Amino acid sequence: MQRITIPPRNNWQKAVEQLGFGFHTTNVPYWDESAYYAFSMDEILYIEKASAELWNLCLGAVQHVIDNNLYHLFAIPETFIPYIERTWTEDHPSIYGRFDFCYKDGQVKLLEFNADTPTSLYEAGIIQWFWLQDFDQSKDQFNSIHEKLIGYWKYAQPYLYPGVVHFACVKQSLEDLTNVEYIRDCAIQAGLDTRLLFIDDVGWDANDQVFADMQDQPVKNIFKLYPWEWLVAEEFGVHILTDKNRALWIEPAWKMILSNKAILPILWQLYPDCPYLLPAYFEPARLTDYVKKPILSREGANIELIKGSTVLQQTEGEYGEEGHIYQQLFTLPSFDGHYPVLGSWIIGQEPAGMGIREANNLVTDNLSRFIPHLII
Amino acid sequence: MKKSKHIELVLITAALASCHRPAKDWQGGSPVYVRSDSTAQYTRIYHHHPGVGLWYYAFRPYGNYYKGIYHRAGYYSDAFGEEVNIGSNGFKSSIIRGGFGEGAWSVGS
Repeated sequence: MQRITIPPRNNWQKAVEQLGFGFHTTNVPYWDESAYYAFSMDEILYIEKASAELWNLCLGAVQHVIDNNLYHLFAIPETFIPYIERTWTEDHPSIYGRFDFCYKDGQVKLLEFNADTPTSLYEAGIIQWFWLQDFDQSKDQFNSIHEKLIGYWKYAQPYLYPGVVHFACVKQSLEDLTNVEYIRDCAIQAGLDTRLLFIDDVGWDANDQVFADMQDQPVKNIFKLYPWEWLVAEEFGVHILTDKNRALWIEPAWKMILSNKAILPILWQLYPDCPYLLPAYFEPARLTDYVKKPILSREGANIELIKGSTVLQQTEGEYGEEGHIYQQLFTLPSFDGHYPVLGSWIIGQEPAGMGIREANNLVTDNLSRFIPHLII
Repeated sequence: MKKSKHIELVLITAALASCHRPAKDWQGGSPVYVRSDSTAQYTRIYHHHPGVGLWYYAFRPYGNYYKGIYHRAGYYSDAFGEEVNIGSNGFKSSIIRGGFGEGAWSVGS
């Protein structure tokens, strides 16, 4: 893995905007093509292998949590347990997830699994691919995200209810809308009948006890880029349990288990010999150098990095009241002060590609940049 | 690793091309508010929520307050069907909205 500095394309802003990528720059640059990361094919194959194996381990961990009724460790409301188990036993469709890896000294280590609402999919699947076409068409990329998304929607279609599949996100975020519209684009290409529905426009028909869209039509299949822990806590959350249409929510509710950082100690307990896992516990006493993470947090908020008695870094935020986990410290590699996290995508049941986010410190937050990659 | 060299996008570029914010706003860091359909024209309004700047609307919502909570009923826009946009009817009266989306900011993860 090397970091190569290059001049950006002339007028790169126009190039990415023509692809519909409107959030390449906010207060600070987000899309950054002043550098790229280069990997050997052996490195990519190793990352792919780690992703495939971890996905299998994660499914085993979900079954373990269900079998042993460990929901209290995840701060999951008891009222939702039967529903979560129904979505698991009925195998409600799951489309995607993103492992965040630290790759250093030839080792892949899982930092967390964004299993419910991963973003940066459009950057990883489309923007960096078209960057590579301009930069060096002779090179390849760990990236079959687009093909696998279309393929998996085709595969999943018979398992959905006939009719419309709604795609929902919040109104106020162009980033979220771009991710959702990209996934919807792939669903359209797979032959699905789709409709966009902002999450706060989802209606509840109190007479018929069903969810409704803006045309007052019933919602039976809904892909949502909106966290389950928010859905269950909000006013309409309880209606998911009484919905007479038993709508399919994608990602399904069992992803509440995998998207929660409490899964990290569970994975370590179950698979301590796995080379891709870091020791992780629900209490700090067993570690000297560790990262304290809220079980529910987003964008690198409320993270503390502890080395011995020294706080290496800590971030602000509003998370943590549900509890924390403690994970062995495995600091990100530094490339002249740039700290990359590898985001390895699972589409359907398979590794599908990679996107790299880079920060100026050890915690990857919402100010980190997306850097393209290629295979040398 | 890439199985095909041809990528086609049928929806997203057209849908989003009109959504990105003007360049002068990129430095300002103000939120951007978007629509995804390409059938209606944008209108600019200033929203009066504290701390919120310029909103871009392809449509303006209408609704009413019930027990102190605002329930959106529809949008003033030609971009939606008549049943969404005009008045109310018996069926619609049983549908309430706004029960999701309290954490209505980017979910980014």
